Amino acid sequence: MESFFVRYRNLLVLLALLAAQILGLALQIRRTGTGQASFGQHDDKGQQLIRLWANAVVSPPERAVQSSKTGVGWIWENYFDLRRVRQENKDLQAEIDQLRLEQAQLLEDAKQGQRLQTLNSFQQKYIYKTLSAEVIGGSGTDLSRVFYLNKGKDDGLTRDMAVITPDGIVGKVREVYPHSAQVLAINDQSSGAGVILETTRIRGILRGNAAGQPAVVNILADQRIKPGEKVLTSGGDQIFPRGLPVGTVDHIDKDPDRDGFVEVVVKPAANLNGLDEVMVITDTEPRFNDKTKKDMDQSASEKGAEAAALNEQLKAAQILEEKLPGLTDPNAKQPAANGTAPATGAATANGATPATPPAAPKLLTPQHPDRFSTGYSSQSSSAPKTTAPKPATSKTGADTTGTGATPGTTSKPPVHKPATVNPGDIKIPPVPKSDTNLESPPPAPAKPAPQPQRKF
Amino acid sequence: MAILTANSRRDLEIHRYPAFLYLVVPLAALVLQALLPRFLGRFAYFDLPLVITIYFALARRSPIQGMFLGAFVGIFEDALTHHAIGVNGIAKTVAGYLAASVGIRIDVQNIVIRVLLNFALTLLCNGIYLVIYRGMLGLEMDWNWFTMIFQAVGNSVIALLLFPLLDRFQVLD
Repeated sequence: MESFFVRYRNLLVLLALLAAQILGLALQIRRTGTGQASFGQHDDKGQQLIRLWANAVVSPPERAVQSSKTGVGWIWENYFDLRRVRQENKDLQAEIDQLRLEQAQLLEDAKQGQRLQTLNSFQQKYIYKTLSAEVIGGSGTDLSRVFYLNKGKDDGLTRDMAVITPDGIVGKVREVYPHSAQVLAINDQSSGAGVILETTRIRGILRGNAAGQPAVVNILADQRIKPGEKVLTSGGDQIFPRGLPVGTVDHIDKDPDRDGFVEVVVKPAANLNGLDEVMVITDTEPRFNDKTKKDMDQSASEKGAEAAALNEQLKAAQILEEKLPGLTDPNAKQPAANGTAPATGAATANGATPATPPAAPKLLTPQHPDRFSTGYSSQSSSAPKTTAPKPATSKTGADTTGTGATPGTTSKPPVHKPATVNPGDIKIPPVPKSDTNLESPPPAPAKPAPQPQRKF
Repeated sequence: MAILTANSRRDLEIHRYPAFLYLVVPLAALVLQALLPRFLGRFAYFDLPLVITIYFALARRSPIQGMFLGAFVGIFEDALTHHAIGVNGIAKTVAGYLAASVGIRIDVQNIVIRVLLNFALTLLCNGIYLVIYRGMLGLEMDWNWFTMIFQAVGNSVIALLLFPLLDRFQVLD
């Protein structure tokens, strides 16, 4: 018997351990009402004790590992890993420097974009043809205030072209090279531009002084000139178009060389010391944009329509004039035999004014003539004559031809009869506005009629 | 075959270790088994307490010691779960017994034997666990054979690295 346990000791121990554990499992399993096996909601004391021991054994090392992990991690991150952090810091510093460079470049690009946008906007609105150019250099000395553009002869620039910015004038092209041009700024002492003060309308020449400020020189002292007054181009120099802004009056200095003269120092509208982009006026012929052209075409068409309407009105007036009774005798003979215009004074059918001045209306014979009537005489008071009067026998002695011709040229001077002339009989017919044609024969003298006869 | 059999006195000798190692190593294995899955997540394809059980069972060549060690670490593992206590205990008790029984007959110093033994015993242990859980207890449990195989491979790899390390702690006569 002893040998059995010794011989199968291992197996018996195995069975015992397995049986004990299976028994323990059997105690932990509960059967539900449906026959399903499940663990109990709550562990019994034996289970709780085992779990407590296990937890008590595992928790301290776990806590230690966790705290050491934190501590080791802190030591690693703050000490051993400093080399990586240092490298990272170096990389970040380099990245910051690169970003700063890019930021500065972007800022400069943005500023340039804004300037170009302003320039382009002004160029589109500007009436003259311009060419944009960039300032690429200067003279390097204050004694010569010139700068260079990146556009030259190949781009269409020539000498004495005006260089401007949207703010104001800058200078003029002094020399032109194939791919660049030299511009003489308005604040150079050798420059010159015709300007006018906006309010006082005083004209002068703008040029630079020793301090590099543009000044209007050679003008008489005037109390009306005040600082702040705008200065514009006058257009007299044939370079700068008229009306461009030059600047404002900064202050007035006395001319040391000439008494009574002052030097008006101007604060330039354009930033002459910080030019980047400028415009060169390449053509001074007005260049209208599409909208302006459209407006102009519309105005022209409206003007044509208005003229046509006026013409129609004239035609209607002529027709009415022909149909309605007037001062003229409709039965009178029209002098159309020789092809001349009718003597009505009205416009012709085509609306043109008559080539010859209208003849004096042919007056009708008064039905009851008196002594004041033309052609009255004591002998013919009962039966007045209605024949046309002869100029040579005019009683007034004045020019009654209506042409303004002076006596003694082609007509016979009138014979004056002072004894029979009554001052009240003197009637001076109106003188036509047209020039006197000395060679043309005088038309028939008009009969002075006291009252025109109308037929209704 | 002669290579695999323990035919020399050296092969049959019982390896001895410092006393603390019998306690510290299993506890360390249990703690690590509880800790590492937190960091490795679902990739914790290993069972360190089983590897330690197999190692000591093979080294001591004592089935009883192997069974008790297996029962202890198995129950300990069960105690850290909300499952019934004893399932892992039974599985690892059997694994300890078999490892010690095999270690008496074959050369446990051979690396290939160690790897194969770990692989086979891991699969067996998982099989016993499944049988007990589903068959004996009648509980529902999701089971993936690939997970079992990955765990067996993981244990083999760990044994391949850990066994030589633990061999250094042997107390030589």
